[in-house]
Amino acid sequence: MPKCRFKDVKIAGIVTCVPPLEKCIDEELALFGGNLKQLERLKKTIGLSKRRVVDDQTTAADLCEQAALHLIAESGLPLKQVDAVICVTQTPDYSQPCNAAVLHGRLGLSKNCAALDVNLGCSGYVYGLWLAHTMIASGGCKRVLLLAGDTISRLVNAKDRSVAPLFGDGGSATLIERSPGAPVAFFSLQTDGSGYDKLIVPAGGARCPRSAETALAVEDEAGNFRSLENLFMEGAEIFNFSITEEPRAVKELLEYAEVETDAVDYFVFHQANRYILGNIAKRLKLDLAKVPMQTVERYGNQSSASIPCAICGELATAISDRASTQALLSGFGVGLSWASALVELSDLSICELIDYSA
Amino acid sequence: MLTPYIMDLETFIKNFEEAVEDVEVGTLAGETVFRSLEQWDSLAVLTVIAMVDGEYDVRLKAKELKQVETLAALHALIAAKKAA
Repeated sequence: MPKCRFKDVKIAGIVTCVPPLEKCIDEELALFGGNLKQLERLKKTIGLSKRRVVDDQTTAADLCEQAALHLIAESGLPLKQVDAVICVTQTPDYSQPCNAAVLHGRLGLSKNCAALDVNLGCSGYVYGLWLAHTMIASGGCKRVLLLAGDTISRLVNAKDRSVAPLFGDGGSATLIERSPGAPVAFFSLQTDGSGYDKLIVPAGGARCPRSAETALAVEDEAGNFRSLENLFMEGAEIFNFSITEEPRAVKELLEYAEVETDAVDYFVFHQANRYILGNIAKRLKLDLAKVPMQTVERYGNQSSASIPCAICGELATAISDRASTQALLSGFGVGLSWASALVELSDLSICELIDYSA
Repeated sequence: MLTPYIMDLETFIKNFEEAVEDVEVGTLAGETVFRSLEQWDSLAVLTVIAMVDGEYDVRLKAKELKQVETLAALHALIAAKKAA
């Protein structure tokens, strides 16, 4: 796997923005055909509980914009000093132009600024961090604004139990900057494209354009309804992938960095669900106190925004109290794609979770 | 060469019963058609896959769970995969 290390680059601030509307699985008994036992099993085992979702007017770009505005205001970052903006999303406002250009305009960034999108989901935040580190380490940029967010709730069919209760929405803004003497950051990135169809929205791209047929919701053998424009997930295969590849990737990155598992302060995994996180943690024999897991129960699986949300929502106090916080971040999912990073988090000047206001 | 197999059916059934939420331990047998259980759903598929991975170090696919009928047949499938 491609592994790399960067010197003199730091993560300077993170803000995550979540929509205010909360849904709770307890209010969705009808989705489970009134089967209370099944609902209780899902709550107990998978940890499904609450999630925050957008209305049909709000997009990932809106959430990311508010996160970015807050980050800029609180950190006093001069807009003209942003050399590049990277937007990680699978739910952009338009098929073109890219969200990064749209947000570049809305934020009023300088024309001397690169702007590009990265089409990745659950692994996307770590990929975005890696890209930002690469751009800065090469000398091309001093400051990169990484905007990672998704509104997957708008892609799921409300009558599909296999995905509807899982996904929430979120947007984040992270400032990465050149900082001589900053601790070394380590990254690894991997892909298994043969599993591209295990987590997919089949229609709406060039391969299968939208039509009356793709909009039609069809019942599957398990009694779930979805159209070709909805998100489809082969849950068991994604689960298998996660518990096979994630522990291996984490171990390999720690070996590469020559860091003992115990020396890592936090393991911030993509907040898929408590069951997957618990299984990964168990296989790595991690101390559960070091593994944030509440984010997914409060906000849902937020795709590319889940790791920054877990940092802002669960670790902000802990990392500000410490001189150093070594965190292993690891995202895995659609692609199939997975990526891990070992980074320092106590250099953040801001680490905050905010509610979106329209 | 096949090594003597340490995984007995009785233990496997107990592991299965513990893996599937709401199933009482001691209620299933080798001839149980597990996919007909009231508790058998997509969640049970996950928890059984996790149990098989954790206890036997075998990666079971959801598709493979659909290709066998009874717990004894599932046990044999896992044993075969383990030996392969």
